[in-house]
Amino acid sequence: MNLRVETRTPSEGVAVIALSGEADVYTSPRIKQEIVDLLNNGTTKLVVDLTSVEYLDSTGLGVLIGGLKRARERDGDLKLICDNLRILRIFEITGLTKIFDIYRSEAEALEKL
Amino acid sequence: MPDPKPLAEVALSIPSRPEYVGVARLAILGVASRMRFSYDEVEDIRLAVGEACTRSIDRLNGDADAHPINLACLIDANRLTIEVRSSLPHSPVAPAEVESPDAEKGLSDVLIRILMDEVDTEERPEEGIYVLRMVKYVAR
Repeated sequence: MNLRVETRTPSEGVAVIALSGEADVYTSPRIKQEIVDLLNNGTTKLVVDLTSVEYLDSTGLGVLIGGLKRARERDGDLKLICDNLRILRIFEITGLTKIFDIYRSEAEALEKL
Repeated sequence: MPDPKPLAEVALSIPSRPEYVGVARLAILGVASRMRFSYDEVEDIRLAVGEACTRSIDRLNGDADAHPINLACLIDANRLTIEVRSSLPHSPVAPAEVESPDAEKGLSDVLIRILMDEVDTEERPEEGIYVLRMVKYVAR
């Protein structure tokens, strides 16, 4: 199992990064690069879709935290989509539900950006 | 009194490189699935082992002379003990190229300690190794 990263830009300055597979110490640098590239190109409102992520570790969490920080430094934001209870539990255990806005659907996440 | 001999032992050795952490996760998935753990408990063990291997790799930070990471899974009727042995760094290393190494290490520690029932660590400078030992009990 590897990681697939697919990015769409539903409107100007907004990107949805859909991840599928495993976000771990091996694959997370790709997520970081995608986020950094988008921010450097002026896309500051990001939604990361974790719906199809089957595995997420502390490295993946670190990349998401870094992405949120970088986006906010540019007056943007990073929101998450996730309905997988296993993945949601990892955010709860680590207390990260307090810093991330996590939604069940893309429509809801985009509306709150 | 020393612990009695386990019913079975599975050993695995992986290179200290990120691309092999998934191999360790797959192996532990196979071991834990043969025991009376629930699906969620098996997933907890898998994540804890992945974190333990990642921590080892982060600590060594690409040290080309690092020995492999050795995992020993000691299977008992009521528990699974996993020992993750890795090299101690040969010399002080620069911080790893990660978002925030300390924050990630903190997250990793939290995950391992919450997901497993018992966790302890030991440095053995005379052998040049670091040991992380984790235990998960079956239906406690």
